[in-house]
Amino acid sequence: MTRPGTHPDSGRDGERSQGELERGEVVGARHAPDSSIRTGGSKHPLHIRLFGRNPLGALFSAPYLVFVAIVFAYPLGFAVYMSFFDYFFTAPGAHVNRPFVGLANFVQVFTDPAVMQSFLNVLVFLVINVPLTVVLSIVLASALNSVVHARAFFSVSFYIPYVTASVAVIGVWLFLLNQNGLVNQLLGPLAPDPSWLINPVLAMPTIALFVTWKGLGFYILLFLAALQSVPGELYESAATDGAGKVRQFFSVSVPGVRPATVLVLLLATITGANLFTEPYLLTGGGGPNGASTSPVLLMYQQGIEQGHPGYAAAIGIVLVVFVLIIALLQNRFAGGRE
Amino acid sequence: MKRRTWIAGIATLAVATLALTGCSGGSGGGADAMQAHGPITVWYSNNAQELQWGKAMVASWNSTHPKEQIKGQEVPAGKTTEAVIGAAITAGTTPCLVFNNLPAATGQFQKQGGLVDLSKFPGANKYITDRSGASADQYKSSDGDFYQMPWKSNPVVIFYNKDLFTKAGLDPANPKLSTYTDFLATAKKLVSSGAAPYAIYPSPTSEFFQPNFDFLPLYAAETKGQSIIKDGKATINGQAGYDVANFWKTIYADNLAGKDPVQSDVFASGKAAMAIVGPWAIPVYKKVNWGSVPVPTKSGTSAENTWTFPDAKNIGMYTSCKNQGTAWDVVQFATSKAQDGDLLQVTGQMPIRPDLKSDYPDFFAKNPAYNLFASQTSRTVDDPNGPNAIATLQDLRNFYSKAVISGQGDLKSGLDQAAATMTAEWNRK
Amino acid sequence: MMGQPTAIPDQNGTNSAASRPVLRRKRKHRPANSLSRGQTLLRGVVLIIGAFVFLFPFYYMLIGSLQTSPDTTIAGAFPEPGNLTLANYAAINSRIGLLTGLVNSGIFTGGVLLGTVVFGVLAGYALAVLQWRGRDATFALVLLVQVVPFQLLMIPLYVLIARDYGLADNYLGMILPFAISSVAVLIFRQYFMQLPRELFDAARIDGASELRLLWGVALPLVRPALVTALLVTFIGPWNDFLWPFLITKETSMQPLAVSLANYISNVASSAANPFGAILAGACVLAAPVVVVFLFGQRYFISADLGSSVKG
Repeated sequence: MTRPGTHPDSGRDGERSQGELERGEVVGARHAPDSSIRTGGSKHPLHIRLFGRNPLGALFSAPYLVFVAIVFAYPLGFAVYMSFFDYFFTAPGAHVNRPFVGLANFVQVFTDPAVMQSFLNVLVFLVINVPLTVVLSIVLASALNSVVHARAFFSVSFYIPYVTASVAVIGVWLFLLNQNGLVNQLLGPLAPDPSWLINPVLAMPTIALFVTWKGLGFYILLFLAALQSVPGELYESAATDGAGKVRQFFSVSVPGVRPATVLVLLLATITGANLFTEPYLLTGGGGPNGASTSPVLLMYQQGIEQGHPGYAAAIGIVLVVFVLIIALLQNRFAGGRE
Repeated sequence: MKRRTWIAGIATLAVATLALTGCSGGSGGGADAMQAHGPITVWYSNNAQELQWGKAMVASWNSTHPKEQIKGQEVPAGKTTEAVIGAAITAGTTPCLVFNNLPAATGQFQKQGGLVDLSKFPGANKYITDRSGASADQYKSSDGDFYQMPWKSNPVVIFYNKDLFTKAGLDPANPKLSTYTDFLATAKKLVSSGAAPYAIYPSPTSEFFQPNFDFLPLYAAETKGQSIIKDGKATINGQAGYDVANFWKTIYADNLAGKDPVQSDVFASGKAAMAIVGPWAIPVYKKVNWGSVPVPTKSGTSAENTWTFPDAKNIGMYTSCKNQGTAWDVVQFATSKAQDGDLLQVTGQMPIRPDLKSDYPDFFAKNPAYNLFASQTSRTVDDPNGPNAIATLQDLRNFYSKAVISGQGDLKSGLDQAAATMTAEWNRK
Repeated sequence: MMGQPTAIPDQNGTNSAASRPVLRRKRKHRPANSLSRGQTLLRGVVLIIGAFVFLFPFYYMLIGSLQTSPDTTIAGAFPEPGNLTLANYAAINSRIGLLTGLVNSGIFTGGVLLGTVVFGVLAGYALAVLQWRGRDATFALVLLVQVVPFQLLMIPLYVLIARDYGLADNYLGMILPFAISSVAVLIFRQYFMQLPRELFDAARIDGASELRLLWGVALPLVRPALVTALLVTFIGPWNDFLWPFLITKETSMQPLAVSLANYISNVASSAANPFGAILAGACVLAAPVVVVFLFGQRYFISADLGSSVKG
C-alpha cells in the first residue's frame, strides 16, 4: 500500500492518479481536460459509458434515492403545483373550487411588502451569522485541535448548545435578554432600550447571535475533522521555513480546511435562509412589527395558519431559488478556484 | 458541468415527482355517518381544570354507554393547535369532537370541509338556541348554519392586585379604572409609585390571536358590541377604533406595559398590577389578593352595560367521524345542564347559557367573584366568522404591533390602511 | 456544487512548504514548534471565554429550575440555599408520563439512527468513492433537499403519510420523513472524500469487493464520521416536536419532546413558579441528550482521523 501520509502533492505535477481524475469530476470545471477524458467515450467499454466505472454506486444510493422520491419529491412537486393555483387543503372527499391562477401568487410575492421585509431580514441574518459562524468555528476548532489539557471539557461545552432542543434553550435566553434580565443588569446604563428582542433594529441581529451560539458546535465539529486530516508534515515543513504559529494557521490550516469551509458556508446559508423556530419562539411570531419575520415564518402563517398554501408555496419556491443562487455564487467565489 | 449537475438534479426530481403524483380521492361522511353509532374519540383541552372536567365527563358517559365508548385525548394545545387540526382535517385523521375549537378558525375548517354542519341534525338549531340564547347567533356561519356548538366563554375583564393598589396609595375598594383618563392616571400612579414595574401586561407578541386580549375587548366595549368586520368591511377605522388604539398606544408610550414577550405570569408574580383576563384565571390567581372590573371605555360605562370579548371555545364535530350519531349525543350530553354545572364548578369557565345565575344559584352564591363574569357573558362579541378570519386577525395584529406597541407612524392613517388590508383579506377568495 | 473536496491543501503556492514534503515522522504528534507563552495564554483565554459563553445559559437554566421564585438580579445567578427546591421537577413528573415519553423517543430516535447510518453510509460512500452515472445528479439532489424548507413540504407530506400510506399513529410514520438524513449523507461523503485514493486503488487491485472495501477499509477509518453523524442525527428526532405532534394523536405514543414542549408552552404557565417550571421542563428535555453526548464525545475527540490514516 502506498504511504498515504506522503500523499500531498507528491505526484501532483507528474502523472495524475486515478483518484484525482475521479474527483475532478465533482467540480469538473476545474479540471476541464479530465472531464473530456471521461466523456471522450471511445476509450471505455460500453458498460462503463452507460453506467460509469462503478455501477454499484447507483445500487448503494438507491435507498436514499427512493427515500427522497417518497418523502421529498412528491411533496415538493405538489408544492410547485400548488403555487400556480389558489390552492386550499380540504378534507378527503370535500370539493372546493381551486382555480388556476398562473403566476399571480408569484406576482404577489414580489409586491408584498411583508415578503420583501422578510427577505431583507434574512439577509441581515446571513450577513451577521454566516461570517461569524465561519470565523468563530474555525478559530475555536483550531484552538481545540491544539489544546492538550481539558480538551474533552472544552469540546463538550462547545457542542452542548447544538445538541439541545431550541424549545429548551430559548426559555433561558428569553429570561437572560429580558428588559430586566441578567444581560441588561450587567450592562447597566449600556443596556439597549427597547431591549434586545423587542428592538426593531436589534431583534434580527440578536436572533443571528443566538443561532450562531446554538449551531456553532456542529461547525466546530466539521472543522475539527477537517483539521485532523491536514497532515502534520505540512505544519512541520512550514515551521522549517520559519513560519510562526499564526502564519501556519493562515497558510496551512485555513487552506487545508477549505473544502470544509465551503460546506460550512453552504450549510450556514441554508440554515439561515430556512430560519423558523427562532423567530417563532424568541420574538413571538416575528415581532416587533415584522422586524424578525423570516420567509419560512410567513409561509407558516400563510400556508398553515391562514389557509393560503398556494401563496405560501410560491414564497417557498422563490426562497429556494434565492438560496440556490446564493449557493452558486458562494461556490464560485469560495469554492477553491485559482 | 456545474449547471449540468443542477439541471440533472432537478430533472431527476421532476421525473420522480411525475411518477409519484397520482392524486387520490377520498370518501366523505354523508347522511349515513350522521345516523351511525359506536365508539368515538374526543379531544379536550390540556389545562389541569379542563382535563379534570373532560375526564369526568368521559367516564360518566362511558359508564352508561358500553357500546359507544368515548376515548378521550388531550388536545394538541398551544400555538400549534389550529395548524394541527387543519392538517388532520386534510388527512382525515381528526377525532369526532374537539372541545377546544377556536371560533376564529371555524370558517377555515368549514371551508376545508372538515366540520360537520350541526344544523343538519334534527332539532339541533333549537337545542343550540335554547341553550345559548341570542349569544349563539354570532357562531352561525354565513350560510346560517352552525358548524360549531357554542360551548363556554371566558369574558375578558380587568383584574387588579389590591395589595399593589394599596401600596401605590390607591383605593383598592373603588379603583378608578372605568374611563381611559382614569385608567391611565391609575396606571401611571402604579408605576411611578414603584408599586409594580408595569401597570398591565398584555402579551405583546405577534400571533394572530393576541388582539383578543388587548384591542378587541376594549373595541367591543367602546362600540357596544360591534364586530371588527361588518358586511364584509373592516370597521376599525372609525372613532371607536381610533380611541381604543390610541389608549393602548399611550399605555405603551408611557411604558405602563411591557413590550417583552411574557413567559411567566406577570400578574401572579406582581410584576404587573393589572391583567386583562377571563374567569379561568381565578383558580390560577389564588395567591393574589385581586379584584375585578369591566374593561374601560372612553367615557366610562356601567358594569351592566359593558361589552367585551368572550374568549369562547366551542365544540367542533369533524367530518372524518364515522359515528356522528353518537358524537351528536355526546355533544348534547356534554352541554347538558348537569355537565355545564360541573364545568362551571371545576373550571370556573362560563357555559354559554343566558341565565347562568338562575341556572346555578348555589355556585354563584358560594363564589361571588364569578358574578361579574356571569353578567358579562350575554354582552360579548367574538372574532368574526369566515374563511379568512385568522388572516384578517393577523393583519390587525401586524398593524397593532407596529402602530400601537411600537408607536410608529400616524395612527389615523395607519388605521385606514389596516382597515383596507383587512377588508381585502376578509374577502380574499 | 461543492468546492473540490480533496483532502489536499491547495497547490496555488500560498504554501511553498507543501511542495517539499520534508518528513520528520518522529515528531508527528507534537506541534512543529511550540506556541509562545503569549499564544498559549491567548488560546486558553479564547477557549475559556468560549466555554463560558456556551455553558452559562445551561447553568442558569439549572439554577432557575431549582429556584422557588424567579430572581433576575445578578445575585440570582448564584445558588441561594433558601430559594432552592425540587418542586418544579415534581410538578412535571406528576403531569407527564416521563417513562413512556422516553421509550417513545427511544424508538423514534433509534429507527431514525438505524436508517441514517445504514443508508447514509452507503450513499455517502457511493458519492465520495465510486464513479457511476447519475452521481452528480444525486449529489445535487442531496444539496437540494437541504435547501427546501420543511414547512413547504409539511402538509403535503403529512397528507401523504397519514392519508395515503395510512401511517398516522404509527412509529413508522413518525420515523419515515427522517429515515435518512441528508446532512448525514453529506458528512459521510465529506469524510470518505478525505480518505486517500491510493487506499482504495490498492485494495481494488488486491481484488477486494466494494462492499468489503467499504466495510473493512473505509468504515473503520471514518469512525469519527459515524459518531458525528450519529450525534447530529440523534438530536433531530430527539428534539423535533412538530412532526411527531402532527402524526401522533395518541398521547401514549408521543415522544418526550412533544409532551415537554407542550408542558413548557402551555401547562407551565399555570404552575406555582411558571418560570422554574419552564426551565425544569427544559432541563428534563436537555438532560438525556447531554448524557448521550457525554458518552459519545470521547469517540470523536480521541479519534484522530489524520493519524489513523497514517497508521
